[in-house]
Amino acid sequence: MSRTETARTSVDDAGGDDEFDPVGTLALIAVYFAILVLAWVYIYYIEFLGRDLVVVG
Amino acid sequence: MHIHAYEKLWLAFAVILILLLIGSVTYGAVGPGVAMVADSEDQIDPGALDEDERFAEPRVEQVGDNHYAAYVIAYQFAFEPSPIVVPENSRVTLYVTSRDVIHGFEVAGTNANTMVVPGEVSEITVEVGEPQEYGLLCNEYCGAGHHGMEGKVHVVSEEEYANLNEGGETA
Repeated sequence: MSRTETARTSVDDAGGDDEFDPVGTLALIAVYFAILVLAWVYIYYIEFLGRDLVVVG
Repeated sequence: MHIHAYEKLWLAFAVILILLLIGSVTYGAVGPGVAMVADSEDQIDPGALDEDERFAEPRVEQVGDNHYAAYVIAYQFAFEPSPIVVPENSRVTLYVTSRDVIHGFEVAGTNANTMVVPGEVSEITVEVGEPQEYGLLCNEYCGAGHHGMEGKVHVVSEEEYANLNEGGETA
C-alpha cells in the first residue's frame, strides 16, 4: 500500500496527472459554482437592486 | 510544489467568485448609487423633540429642486406624520428619530429600512417613482403594541401634492 502511494507521488512529482483525475469532484465543484453565481445574481441584481426605493444617501 | 490541473481550475473558480462578489457590490455603489445608512447626523435629546426645529412638527418639506425632506418621529406605537406624503419622481431624504425606545423604520417591500434609535437621527435618501402607496412598519420589537405599529408612505402626483400643501397652508 505504502509502496503504491510512494510510487504515485513520485509520478505526480514528475508532472504526470494521468493516474488521478477526479472528474466527479470537478463536475460537483462546477455545479456548486454555477449555483453560487446564479444565486448571487438573483439575490443582488434582481431581489436587491430590483426593489423600489434604493437607498442612495 | 506540484498542483493538480483540476485543483488549479477550482482555485481559479474561487478567485473569480470573490471578484464577482466585490465587483457587483462596487457596481451597486457606482452605478445605482447604493449607500449605507451613515451616522453623519448629530445626536439630539429624545426628551426634547418638541423644541427641536426639525422634529417639533413632523412634516415633509421641499428643500431643493425636486428634493424633499421628511422629518419623522417614531414612538410607541406609531409614526408621525402618517401618511408621509411625497410627490412622484422626486428625491426624498428621510430623517427619522425616536422619542422613547428603539424602533425600526421599514418601507415594506423596499430597501428603505433603518433602525430608529432615541437620541440619534437616521438619515436615508431614496428616489421615488410613480404614485404609489407603501406600507411602513416597525421591525424592532418595541413593546406590547409593536405588532400594530405601522404607517403609510404615499407617493402622489405633483398636482395632488400641490393641492394638499395649499390646503394645509390655508387651513
